[in-house]
Amino acid sequence: MTAETSTIYLLDKVVGTAVEAELRDAIEEAQLVDWQTKWQPALIVVLQELARQRVPMAQWPQSWHWDWRAKMTQVAGLLAFRGFSVLCAGVTQGLMRVDLNKHAREPGQKGKPLVYIDYLEVAPWNRTDLGKTARYGGVGTALLSAAVELSLQEDFKGRIGLHSLPQSDGFYRDRCGMTDLGADAQYQGLMYFEMTTEQARTFLDEENGV
Amino acid sequence: MKLERSKEWWLTRARREGDATVGAGLLALDAKPDSHTGTSTGAAEEARIAFGRFVNLMRRRRGLSVERLAELAELDASEILIIEDDVHYVPEPRTVFRLAQTFQVSQPRLMQIAGLAVVSDAGLRQEAVRFAARSEALQKLTPEENAALEAFVAVLSQEDLKKVK
Repeated sequence: MTAETSTIYLLDKVVGTAVEAELRDAIEEAQLVDWQTKWQPALIVVLQELARQRVPMAQWPQSWHWDWRAKMTQVAGLLAFRGFSVLCAGVTQGLMRVDLNKHAREPGQKGKPLVYIDYLEVAPWNRTDLGKTARYGGVGTALLSAAVELSLQEDFKGRIGLHSLPQSDGFYRDRCGMTDLGADAQYQGLMYFEMTTEQARTFLDEENGV
Repeated sequence: MKLERSKEWWLTRARREGDATVGAGLLALDAKPDSHTGTSTGAAEEARIAFGRFVNLMRRRRGLSVERLAELAELDASEILIIEDDVHYVPEPRTVFRLAQTFQVSQPRLMQIAGLAVVSDAGLRQEAVRFAARSEALQKLTPEENAALEAFVAVLSQEDLKKVK
């Protein structure tokens, strides 16, 4: 199956202007190569800089101890799932994998099918929690938008669910208007969020944002 | 699947994202220290200070970056960074084996100071603590660090000689 590409726009945070990018409904070998050869070295540079500056390890980002081998093996499995990727300037800027076999937990939509985002990650240079200004803004939101759109196409009426990274809780709750269903002990205490049909409508339709 | 939205639609959402870092799922979760990082006794910790310092000084003496050493030893650069900085980290046996091979020192002795084997030799423990106390993880090796490193490499090589005898 050939990947379909949508033209999207990101915010170039260095110059403050719009930049054209691609949203692809697939994760292909090229993205995995970028993940390994570009994302990993970028994170190492951040860690080396922190070490040079003698920043105490307690203040390092959580990523200081990734088991790259194990993680790469897991990500390789992405090829077998429905994936999405954002590319800009020829480089992978974000990745997402979704599962269509999960069901909603939120009382108002409990038991109904949803698009569950089981993996969403942006490139290290697009993360603000690593101590520098992000290169491109909007990568994560673009992937989230794709999940909602897929949910509509699958007749799941815009419902999506995800376990948020600790540094992303506020984003899902306050900026995306998702319902916070609390910490999930089955997922290392990550907070579980769902977007209802009504929330999805607001998320997708508003031309001017919240 | 195709998404048809206006340029302004995308930009509004990109701006709304602000300074948030967006991520989801266990796979995206930056792993915390795993089972290899356990609680340790004072003696083991003392030895591991020497282990981290030893790797740091040997690497610098050879003029290697972390990435280059990782390449030579076929290890992850992130793991070498951790070894050099975190006394609580207990590496995999393969890691110590590769480092011992790369630096050409006794693997069993390096295993002991790395915390993978009980430090049975009181002399080695003393030497490890002495070495750690004499060396500082600075940018360049001072003559004192060089001397400390030389002495410790000699100690790490001694055991094998004794065994041969």
